[in-house]
Amino acid sequence: MNVLYVLVPLALGLALVGVAAFRWAVRDGQFDDVDTPALRVLLEDVPTGRRDPSAPPSPPCS
Amino acid sequence: MTATASPPAREVATEAPCVHCGLPVGPRPAWSGAGEACCCTGCAVVRDALAEAGLDGTYDRLRAVAPSARPAGRPQAPEALALAELDRPGFVEAARPLPGGLREVDLYVDGVHCAACVWLVERLPYEVEGVHAARLDLARARLTVAFDPAARLSEAARWLARFGYAVRPSRPEAGTASDAERRLLVRAGVAWALAGNVMLVAFALYSGLESGGLATAARWFSLALAVPAVGYGAAPFFRRAWASLRLAWRARDLRRLHLDTPISLGVAVGFGQSAWATATGRGDVWFDSITVLIAALLTARWLQLRSRRLATEASDRLLAIVPRIARRVTRDDQTEVVEVDALRLGDLVEVPAGEVLPVDGVVETGASRVDRAALTGEARPEPVAEGGLVEAGTTNLSAPLRVRVRAVGEATRVGRLLAWVEKGEVRRAPVVLWADRVGGHFVLGVLVLAALTAALWAWLDPAQLPAHLTALLVITCPCALGMATPLALAVAQGRAARAGIFVKSDEAVQRLTEVDTVVLDKTGTLTEGRMELAAWTGDEAALDLAATLDALATHPVADALVRARGVGPGRVTDVEAVAGHGIRGRVGGVAVLVGRPGWVKVEAAPLPAEWLDALAGWADAGHTPVAVAVDGRPAAAFAVGDRIRAEAAGLVGRLRAEGVQVHLLSGDHPTTVTSVARTLGIERARGGVAPEAKREAVAALQAEGRAVLMVGDGVNDAAALRQADVGAAVGGGTTAALVAADLFLTRRGLAPLRDSLDGADAAMGTVRRLLALSLGYNVVGAAAAAAGLVTPLVAAAAMPVSSLAVVGLALLQPSFASGPSGAAAPHDS
Repeated sequence: MNVLYVLVPLALGLALVGVAAFRWAVRDGQFDDVDTPALRVLLEDVPTGRRDPSAPPSPPCS
Repeated sequence: MTATASPPAREVATEAPCVHCGLPVGPRPAWSGAGEACCCTGCAVVRDALAEAGLDGTYDRLRAVAPSARPAGRPQAPEALALAELDRPGFVEAARPLPGGLREVDLYVDGVHCAACVWLVERLPYEVEGVHAARLDLARARLTVAFDPAARLSEAARWLARFGYAVRPSRPEAGTASDAERRLLVRAGVAWALAGNVMLVAFALYSGLESGGLATAARWFSLALAVPAVGYGAAPFFRRAWASLRLAWRARDLRRLHLDTPISLGVAVGFGQSAWATATGRGDVWFDSITVLIAALLTARWLQLRSRRLATEASDRLLAIVPRIARRVTRDDQTEVVEVDALRLGDLVEVPAGEVLPVDGVVETGASRVDRAALTGEARPEPVAEGGLVEAGTTNLSAPLRVRVRAVGEATRVGRLLAWVEKGEVRRAPVVLWADRVGGHFVLGVLVLAALTAALWAWLDPAQLPAHLTALLVITCPCALGMATPLALAVAQGRAARAGIFVKSDEAVQRLTEVDTVVLDKTGTLTEGRMELAAWTGDEAALDLAATLDALATHPVADALVRARGVGPGRVTDVEAVAGHGIRGRVGGVAVLVGRPGWVKVEAAPLPAEWLDALAGWADAGHTPVAVAVDGRPAAAFAVGDRIRAEAAGLVGRLRAEGVQVHLLSGDHPTTVTSVARTLGIERARGGVAPEAKREAVAALQAEGRAVLMVGDGVNDAAALRQADVGAAVGGGTTAALVAADLFLTRRGLAPLRDSLDGADAAMGTVRRLLALSLGYNVVGAAAAAAGLVTPLVAAAAMPVSSLAVVGLALLQPSFASGPSGAAAPHDS
């Protein structure tokens, strides 16, 4: 059972990582709107618009 | 992006579903490239894009995810003043700075309602120079834009306006509330992480780890985790419990204690006893029960806070009907754009046609018609001339006006109405009052039980006294009771929001179930709120000719006819508009005359006798009669007016059948009001009621002891909405500003009102069931604890079971279950 002395702090460490990630996500505003991102996955990533200000125009996906 | 050309002559029923999103297309559909009717240009564009890519199968999926059924946006001319505000240096400076010299700002976008709108609006960065990122929050209709301060944001607004989305800057103070919400969410997350690890160790203890170094380590480990859970997670409960204790002490009244007090008591005693047991190595530990309890309660609080914010914001974004900047006329007869606050009494401002007046004032030069619907509820545009009074919040329709400023900002009529509404005292919810009372009695009951238990065990076996006393206090900790009401109401409000019904407070849900009197506004509530073709007689072909001619006129009566009949193929020549009378011209070579019956009689020939009754009837009903002459002979007559909504009669009938008293109060002309009341079977109707008098009328009904539900749509109803026990604001997304309402319906029509009455009944039923369940749990738990049957293991099992039962029942409640019935079955009444 001595393995618990390792496993329990390990579990705690994992939980800490989870809490830190959660805190970051909340502060980042990822929970402010939980509806729209669900719709956004249906949209195409590479717009077919005339111009992209940050990247060179990509060829249309096939 | 070529599908926006819209041949206007195509025919489709207004109830027909949009081929893209399934909402009703309304009277002015947009057309896809293949000629299918869509509710908005956004849908038409996406429809074409999908068809081109061969992705028509997307519709099956889209139908499942489009959650809300907001009224559709139409292509519209951008409001020049709103655009000017976006380019104002002060506005750009007030925007949040981002790294890289960019600025970020929140804008409200009217008319977004489905996945297609998200797609279209978020293309902004690729279409407009200077916009670097655009993120749309669909539920809140809020667009966050990152832009280059050197660029003109009005270009973006203009681009969006092409697709029917009106953009308005959000008020700076809006949206700050989410900070508290985020902190609470972090708190709940931390509490759950701690509770999870404590439970992990508790499993080991329950499965037989009773003594030895490992057991001691496990207990100390749990204690270490419970300290932050109690100190940080439960801090809000302790703070509020302390506040209520002090209040109760000062008032010498135990009933002032609220539910946080027994919660804090249970947590504190459970933690204290467990810590002592850990330190001495004797006795049971309750850390797992306590930490789970804290986490569950925090989650319920967060859900409650969140649902309330969504509802508040929905009405908040409508506050911005009065422009914040104006065009001041300078000494050398130029106009300059200034902030409304910089205006002084006696300044002259210019208001072009189509803009909302920024101030109250007297018309100095110009003659026009103004739409006062937002302020007075009068659907018909009223003419104003020099010397006439005009109010902020009304819309100048036909010609530019110069207005001498009489009042600005808070001093305007609309400003005073809104101010009254905003600073109105916060009324305490009956649910809260009840919870307070329960809280006080609960503490009393628990203390009495604790004394009895202590006495019993002091006599039976003093050694077991502390253990059983702790068990009692932990098991009676009203976790389920504390969660039941907020959670059930939060879930109900969340579901309602998905159905386009925003409930601002818990009390509104409860009060809705107690309503015995309904006061209805007419314009925009019982009626559509705009001019429509109401009836016609004579030659149908003449009506079409008239519509073709009217397409060139800019009169609301003409607009209504064109909307109803479409534009025919004939070439229109020799058009002459005669102000105040009508319009004449040639359509395909045929002379057509459209205008007031009296004028047509003089210009053409007397109208047939069989029309006269119809004309008189229309005038009685408050409609505007119009005659059409073709080739000098009267050929048709029609009436334009504010049509009664199709579902109004059904709603009134249902309310009366339930024994609810129905009143009609309107600022409109008494004749019109009486006629509408007669049609719908409403016995108590009053017309010509000023906004202030509406409030007094509602107050008078309340003085008779009635619980009043006020239903209205305009700023003119705001005071009455606030006064009423429940104020419900109906109407489309852009109609009028209503912070006053407790209930805010974004779907068009009266069906949502019926849904909210049903939903509130179901929600309160759920609340009662949950309260019964959780009180029952606490009573059984207390009895078991007094009998000495509750061990930490029993508590650890009972606590989550009761909480999960409450959460499960709250989530499965039948309220507002129909969802957006407007999308599934439009106009189902």
